[in-house]
Amino acid sequence: MSIILAGVTAGYGRDRAIVENIDLEIRTGEVTVLIGPNGCGKSTLLKTIGRILKPRSGSIHVDDLDVLRNDPKRVARTIAYLPQSPVVPTAITVEQLVGYGRAPHQSLLGLRSAKDIELVDHAIATTGLEELRFKPVAELSGGQRQRAFIAMALAQDTPYVMLDEPTTFLDIRHQVETLDLVRQLHDAGRTSVVVLHDIAQAARYGDRLVVMHAGRLVAEGKPADVVTPELLREVYGLECEVYPDPVSGTPVVTPK
Amino acid sequence: MTGLASPRTRATNRAVILIVALLALVICVSLWGLSVGAVAIPVDVIVNTLFNLDGEQQTYIIMKSRLPRMVLALLAGGALALSGAIIQAVIRNPLASPNVIGINSGAALFALGMVLLFPAIPQVWMPLAACLGGLCAAGFVMLVAHYRSLSAVHLALIGVAVGFVFESGVDYLLITSNDSESSAPMIWLTGSLWGRTWSHVGISWIPMIALSGVALILSYRLDLIALGEATATGLGLNVPRQRLIMLFVATMLASVAVAVVGVMGFIGLMAPHIARRLVGGSHRLMLPVSMLVGMLLVVLADGIGRAIAPPIEISAGILAALIGAPFFIYIMLTTASEQEP
Repeated sequence: MSIILAGVTAGYGRDRAIVENIDLEIRTGEVTVLIGPNGCGKSTLLKTIGRILKPRSGSIHVDDLDVLRNDPKRVARTIAYLPQSPVVPTAITVEQLVGYGRAPHQSLLGLRSAKDIELVDHAIATTGLEELRFKPVAELSGGQRQRAFIAMALAQDTPYVMLDEPTTFLDIRHQVETLDLVRQLHDAGRTSVVVLHDIAQAARYGDRLVVMHAGRLVAEGKPADVVTPELLREVYGLECEVYPDPVSGTPVVTPK
Repeated sequence: MTGLASPRTRATNRAVILIVALLALVICVSLWGLSVGAVAIPVDVIVNTLFNLDGEQQTYIIMKSRLPRMVLALLAGGALALSGAIIQAVIRNPLASPNVIGINSGAALFALGMVLLFPAIPQVWMPLAACLGGLCAAGFVMLVAHYRSLSAVHLALIGVAVGFVFESGVDYLLITSNDSESSAPMIWLTGSLWGRTWSHVGISWIPMIALSGVALILSYRLDLIALGEATATGLGLNVPRQRLIMLFVATMLASVAVAVVGVMGFIGLMAPHIARRLVGGSHRLMLPVSMLVGMLLVVLADGIGRAIAPPIEISAGILAALIGAPFFIYIMLTTASEQEP
């Protein structure tokens, strides 16, 4: 039970590949965090896993499902993907947006079943959006919006959830709120892959870190094993000191 | 639970009431539209005539002259509005309309070219020529977008450029044609229902109703595609294929409308915005409401155009913009402040 990538190479248009020859196993029941410097290919890798971007070569399997050779709707019932800054549709309420998460389970007309309604209600309750249910998404604050999109991914009811930098543009309180929600997904039995910039947050919220540099995987493992001054020098070109977080005990990084 | 459900029910009820009201308004304005013109006919006579209870000179005017143009106004208004709503969802740009991806000018160029350069071809083929022109323009835009996988903004910009090319073609044809009747195409290009007959209805009603049906079936997918390529793909939609289908439907709708009533660019821009303001952005409600708003605008514009100074007529396209623009600006001003995050 896992997502297995073998020899995945991906890029945009005719340009040079962004990620090259990636072999990676994403284990079920863990929060995997992708980190790395800007432009290292972590978002591209996440898009490829979520089948938003078709790789040029390699294979992706989820359990027994060949992601690349399967009906997109079927894949969307297995993997949910949330882009870094999703388009906010005009004049759509929170409830409608969350309802779109049910699309892969519905027919062309998008008629809701009792189960659809139940899962939408549940997603709204989990993300604490009851009071904003009938508000247009465009009128929400950044943190509320992020919760609404995460609720949509929840309603999609997939065993795997991909989140691309869900904390960008949020203040620290909303960042923590969003990451707590990711842990909640984990506790509810979902496997998630999250792209994050903040190494301390990645170490604190991830069960497993995957570090990328220039389109390749350079390290993966438990946060305490991965986040070392040597790795930070190699990947970010920065001399740092690493010490345990006074609250969680996970590694925190301070540049020298 | 009931406490939570009630706003949803209220919203649905509101939408149903609105649709019924709009429908009633469309019928009333249509009846009024049938009564105005060079010969004023009271509405009760019209009703009697429509239900075959009367048989006089009015019957001739109503059945042969006014009814077909009314039917065309309804069909074209609905088609242009639907086309605009689809294009706005796909391009995700509030300025988008059939004009923006060059459809209207492409359709106009081919239809005009057929009339002026090949006068021997029967008029029945005009919608086909217009569709070819619309597809040429939209097809070019989509092809470029497909090979370079462009953003929605680039798609719109290229569409505008293509539109200009076709428009200059239209201008060229109008200037160089020595046809003594060249004012007829001129009137047609401003978007007019003048001189429309049952034969125009005959060549356009089947494609328009069929395409409108397809558009309504696609409404839920339009919701998904409006979430942007990444999110929509994540929800299991084959975005490039759906985008192609949607733009194809929108192109055909606008092209057939252009073939029979000329260029009424404003309807495709305005009607969807008004509808979104009335019932929100969910296309299952927004599309039928847009369609009704489009019908209302064209029928009203055509009626007023005939009522102002009979027997002189003012093109419905001109009046639609004149009536619609202030209302449209009002709506934009009242929504703009709410849309800010």
